[in-house]
Amino acid sequence: MKAKKAVSLALAAFLTLPTLSVLGGCGNGGTTVLRVYNWEEYIDEGGSGTFLCDELEEFDTDGSYRAWYEETMGTPLSEEGSAILDDFCRWYENKYGQKIRVEYSTFGTNEDMYNEIVLGNEYDLLCPSDYMIMKLAAEDRLEKYDESFFDKADPENYYVRNVSPFIRDKFATNSGLELRNDDAGKPILWRDYAAGYMWGTTGFVYNPEAMDGTIGELLEERDWGIFTSPEVSGKITAKDNVRDTYFAALGVAYQNDLLSLDRGAEDYVERLTAVFNATDDKTISEVEPVLMDIKKNIYSFETDTGKSDMVNGTIWLNYAWSGDAVYALDLAESGETEDGDSETAMSLNYYVPKAGTNLWFDGWVMPKGANKKAAQAFVNFLSMPQNAMRNSYYIGYTSVISGENMEMLDYADYLYGEEEGAEDTVEYDLSYFFGEKTSIWADREQATSRQLYAQFPPEEVISRCAVMDYYDKEASKRINELWSRVRAETLDAWAIIVIVVTVLAIAAFVVVFKFGGRIDFFRRKPKAGYRLIRQEDPNRL
Amino acid sequence: MKLPRFSRKTLCIPYVVFLIFFVIVPMLVILFYAFTDSEMRISFTNFIQFFSDPTKLSTIVYSLVIALVTTVVSLAIAYPVAYILARSTLKKKYVILMLFVLPMWINFVLRVNAIRELFNLLSTLGGMDWLANANYFKTVFGMVYDFLPFMILPLYTTMLKIDPSLYEASADLGASGFATFWRVTVPLSMPGVMSGVTMVFLPSMTNYVVSDMLGNAKVTIVGKFIYDYFGNDWHMGSMVALVLLVVVFLSTWLTGGFQAEETARGANL
Repeated sequence: MKAKKAVSLALAAFLTLPTLSVLGGCGNGGTTVLRVYNWEEYIDEGGSGTFLCDELEEFDTDGSYRAWYEETMGTPLSEEGSAILDDFCRWYENKYGQKIRVEYSTFGTNEDMYNEIVLGNEYDLLCPSDYMIMKLAAEDRLEKYDESFFDKADPENYYVRNVSPFIRDKFATNSGLELRNDDAGKPILWRDYAAGYMWGTTGFVYNPEAMDGTIGELLEERDWGIFTSPEVSGKITAKDNVRDTYFAALGVAYQNDLLSLDRGAEDYVERLTAVFNATDDKTISEVEPVLMDIKKNIYSFETDTGKSDMVNGTIWLNYAWSGDAVYALDLAESGETEDGDSETAMSLNYYVPKAGTNLWFDGWVMPKGANKKAAQAFVNFLSMPQNAMRNSYYIGYTSVISGENMEMLDYADYLYGEEEGAEDTVEYDLSYFFGEKTSIWADREQATSRQLYAQFPPEEVISRCAVMDYYDKEASKRINELWSRVRAETLDAWAIIVIVVTVLAIAAFVVVFKFGGRIDFFRRKPKAGYRLIRQEDPNRL
Repeated sequence: MKLPRFSRKTLCIPYVVFLIFFVIVPMLVILFYAFTDSEMRISFTNFIQFFSDPTKLSTIVYSLVIALVTTVVSLAIAYPVAYILARSTLKKKYVILMLFVLPMWINFVLRVNAIRELFNLLSTLGGMDWLANANYFKTVFGMVYDFLPFMILPLYTTMLKIDPSLYEASADLGASGFATFWRVTVPLSMPGVMSGVTMVFLPSMTNYVVSDMLGNAKVTIVGKFIYDYFGNDWHMGSMVALVLLVVVFLSTWLTGGFQAEETARGANL
């Protein structure tokens, strides 16, 4: 007995030892973990087709980019390029002398992400859109950024030093969003909780050669109304989510009101925003028939098939986010389909509705309990202009970074600036974004309907944009019911009766067949097994 | 120290744990969500709303119709195939059977995507313009294509087990070929029909990947409906899921899916 006890004690001690040593190991010098939750395909993942692999040769003629890379990451740039997350780990280790590991996961919609957070999944950094940032902040689920994060004097605060003044203003003024108060009665400001990542508009990607080349004129004439125009019936797509499609339906329904707003008025943007964020019963009842018309007229509700349908000619018009538009335009120009098959190159255009459209932002926020130091370091790292270029190039969206020395202007000029010897060029003004008098010379087409126009929209476009507000619980319920009414096929009462009767008839037939005509729900069956054995061999029992 | 006796019952423990955590608890969670409101109080509002809203009832009925059409078409295609294969004297008939089942080895999302591209090709280059917006046709087509093996296999196995001497007996007694088919083959293959119907009917009510990709997301079946609700209103989503569960239960009971008798054995895959 005693011997046994000694053995078990020794065993217990032996089992505990490794646990203790592991605990000790975590104390200092261990690996920090940063849990990042981002949109799918929303960061430079390395490999071919990236900025470092494809463009650097031409872009970095004086070798300064390579030198910067070597200095920052502590290692020369390899031939195969590099994923930005790996570079972050290198940089972090160099700078803080601490190993870091990024646990990177992705989501498909803001609502999916929100559900994950509410269910208690823990992350250090999230990348929701504008309205979702407001929702998370209003529900007190976010950590504020440190004040030192916004200190411009610190040369290592890359975000605040490089962010575009236009974006900074939008974040500081909550960009026309309604101010809400937290529990202490203080207004909730975006800028306390979020650092920008990407931004853009929504509009139509269209194939200018469709309808014998008259589609551009039709679009100009109908604007939002193109969604319900019979001329493009079955050749246009809407988004498969309630927020974007409801927004578009508001545009269709109130187009005339929107166009008649005085664009010079001081409260123009506020009034525009109010129209695009209306969720009252009257608005919903007016928008519902419009949504039904849209559903009838469109080819599909889509989330990401629109790009390939556009390129292979199935549809003529695709309601898209500007970054996806850039991607589709690039894809069509390269003459490849998404699967890499080669087709004939074609040029697509991007159109922003005159009556006003959506201006959106995706920003980095830290949920409660996040590792703030690592999270803010990550945001700062991504805000280095050289890294912003890489991300922007990879995903097609527009970075919020303009660059301390306007590095992003070089990038825009490099990608979209006039070619040597080009004839029809215009000066493209980007002063609002860079905060100083700046412009680039570009092809007229680039400046009015192509990638440049989509990726760096001119101020004139920005001035007629509304940011989406978040819906409170009641509004959200109303909108979702509306959406389910639109999506579902509402049958007439007689149709339901006919179908139900048919189904019941089939069911009755099956029941009759199954029970061979006699329905004996209540009679207990005799235990067949016993009888069987007795029949076979009466002597066995 | 006495070791716990190892009995055959011990082997059941992993399955019981699995059933509790992955079947029973989730069902209870759905039940809980269906009958609570957003403040987690017990409420019947979802229940009342569901049965007073024509949209939701229509969607259920609509899915039923799509599933029924899919099942009938699948049966119409699969029955002759299974009959011919089971009765043929071909030496390599298992090769033909394998060819029918082969697509099941490839992920169905890939196959549905391939069909989507095929339809696109037909409508843009093949001049079949009507295809582009024939969403219901394409949805049913995709479902039939996807679920056909599930219909063929049980039919084939039940028909294969029919004793050929029964056919001879039937012929000896003077029955014509059609009478033999109608009086012998059809009744004896009924368990296979039932299990095939169950396996096609139920998934085609909820498989919204097919309706999204081929129906251009303009065909809303109940699976998609539930998915949409779970984006923002778990309580109503659970209620729809619960109603669907009842419908599924009833149809499984009707088609004899719960039978453990000799007749159904082998046919229930």
